Amino acid sequence: MAPRPTTDQSLSPALLPIQALIEAEQQDFTEGADGRKRAGYFCAYTPPEVLNAAGLRHARLFKAGSPEIVSQGERYTQSVFCDFSKSCIGGFDPEGGDPFYRAVDKLYTFHTCASMKRATEVIERFVPTKLLNLPRLRGEPASRAFFREEIAHYRDDVAELAGRPVTDDEITAQIVLYNKVRALLRRFSELRKGVNPPLTGRDFLELVRGFYYVPPEKLLDVYGKLYRKLSRVRDNGARPVRLMISGSIMADGDRRLVELIEQEIGARVVVEDHCTGLKPFAHTLPEEGDPFQALADGYLDQAPCARMKPLDDSLDFSARLAEEYAVDGVVYVYLKFCACYGVSKLEFIERLQSRGIPVLEISSDYSQSDHGQLKTRLEAFIEVLQDRRTDLALSRAASGQPTGTNTGEFAHG
Amino acid sequence: MKISSIEGEALGRFTPSDPVIGLDIGSRGSKGVLLTADEIHTEFVPTGLYMQETADDLLARLLQKSGVRRRDIAFVVGTGYGRISLKYDYIPYQVVTEITCHAMGAHVLNPRTRTIIDIGGQDSKAIKIDPATGKVVEFVMNDKCAAGTGRFLEKAAVLLGLDLHELGPVALEATDPSPVSSQCVVFAESEMISLRARGERVGDTAARANIAAGIHFATARRVKSLLGRIGTEPDLVFTGGVANNAGMWHALETLIGAKFARSPIDMIYAGALGAAVHAGRHHAAAVAAGTARRNARAQARTTASPTRKAAARATAGRKTAAAHS
Repeated sequence: MAPRPTTDQSLSPALLPIQALIEAEQQDFTEGADGRKRAGYFCAYTPPEVLNAAGLRHARLFKAGSPEIVSQGERYTQSVFCDFSKSCIGGFDPEGGDPFYRAVDKLYTFHTCASMKRATEVIERFVPTKLLNLPRLRGEPASRAFFREEIAHYRDDVAELAGRPVTDDEITAQIVLYNKVRALLRRFSELRKGVNPPLTGRDFLELVRGFYYVPPEKLLDVYGKLYRKLSRVRDNGARPVRLMISGSIMADGDRRLVELIEQEIGARVVVEDHCTGLKPFAHTLPEEGDPFQALADGYLDQAPCARMKPLDDSLDFSARLAEEYAVDGVVYVYLKFCACYGVSKLEFIERLQSRGIPVLEISSDYSQSDHGQLKTRLEAFIEVLQDRRTDLALSRAASGQPTGTNTGEFAHG
Repeated sequence: MKISSIEGEALGRFTPSDPVIGLDIGSRGSKGVLLTADEIHTEFVPTGLYMQETADDLLARLLQKSGVRRRDIAFVVGTGYGRISLKYDYIPYQVVTEITCHAMGAHVLNPRTRTIIDIGGQDSKAIKIDPATGKVVEFVMNDKCAAGTGRFLEKAAVLLGLDLHELGPVALEATDPSPVSSQCVVFAESEMISLRARGERVGDTAARANIAAGIHFATARRVKSLLGRIGTEPDLVFTGGVANNAGMWHALETLIGAKFARSPIDMIYAGALGAAVHAGRHHAAAVAAGTARRNARAQARTTASPTRKAAARATAGRKTAAAHS
């Protein structure tokens, strides 16, 4: 496979060293010169705390976005799998897969959606895989007790791979460390609440990408410096149209929507509720007591994926984020054939609209052939949002007071 | 054409003070509308390989038809598939999406419009508009495949050995529309081939009409699914190139169970007309901003010191000279 083209021109200059750091880490991971075992995982419900405590090299495997790797995966699936799950298979394919994926010694996968579980069953042919269960009913005490046990199994398996025991204290230390990184990422995101944020939506995705490839001890230092730099930028530019991206995963390599919005159209993504944006950083784990229960509770309490029940929790989280970040509209984007976000889309759209927030619905894949159509839809949506802002400003001026006439009556581009 | 000769005369309320142009560069055809204070001119050319050449050709034809001079054009708005690639020297130019333009075009011809179906060469849209302003409230657009678009009908016409403009009228003669269930061009093509193989030969006029009607209904079902998501409040208006197809008009009215409002001009020009109206507004805003600047300068002159007054006069003089050159 050809290396992923770097899209430096779309990243703010301050982020370029981060990008270089990520690429160096990826290269080390692929080459494996230090002899450490390498673990990979797909889903944001996999606690990296345990992998890091065992001294493994580890990375979230979410590189996707190119049609070539999708067709690689299609050799093993039906067409009605989402392009992300096909890319996961394609990455592990012994012929023409991604060297980064092929370098993985063991894959840990918490069973999330149906396609990812099936994809994992194909991948078992290519790499040793540990499939773990993730309860759906996140509020039930039984779910929590069960998930604690799954995480204990996960620890045992990880320890075996590392060839050394992993103690409770080591895990607790990692929980403390990862809590710091998550808090720092939340603070980066908070900077986007300003009128003219010092980092773009594209930049934030790069920070998230770093979280999944670079070890936290290295990250804290680099991100801390960058945060101090960005937090000093004066917030004095014009207010761009502010958007939230909602919906299914936005893979490492799937940047075309964000680039279209920010680079071509000139609007700004100020927050995202998907599992490769702000969502995995919204929670803090308990730092006291049984570390397994802390991981079980912490990960079940995180801002939930749409596969979790009750769905209301996911809907509330999205609506709250949209309001907190004062967005003008939401772009709800899901991968074709997505069994979670493609099915719960109406609930999401209705919940946001009922709060007066316009939503544009986009179903997408990695085929790259619909650029013109996407652009037309997004531009038209932004024209509507600008009109609404003008009307709102006019009616405010006319009545001499703020009005709340948001009908939010918009959807389905 | 005199605007006053257009039925309804709603358009008269939207005409510009100076001539403006709207260009709708579509995937298959390019449409232009030139609006003056009391006239409307329309032109159509097939979209060529180079969007700018197509647009230049369209502009030249509009000027020739209307007798307006190029230097008198106050503003151009571009829309459609090729909107981004256009450049003009000396004429202010803006881009507006075809969704916003179709809404405005339908609105100025019929202010009661609330729902629009627009079917073009490579996409179809359903648009809900605010009748008070002509602004878009919601829209839905087809996915990237050609089902439910003019491209699909073009392919069907070729397979039936018909010219595109014959396809609709032939479909209206159907006695028993053939079941074409596929909404994908590729599969519909093979369905048509198997319908023909079952003895419904192309040479057989009645069979051809039935297949043609089946194709229109298959396309209309696809378009109807877009409408299902935004509703069908009247007046319902059909715009875009496919609005000229009587067979599609019939199939959609039958499936939706509602009538389209008649439009006073060929609705292939709805997008270009909307673009021209937007051009008029941009021009008016520019004129208003210019007037405000001049007033502010005049204000500054009466209050400024003698030397600053002279400097302001010199600046204003240069600007006026530039504007007239």
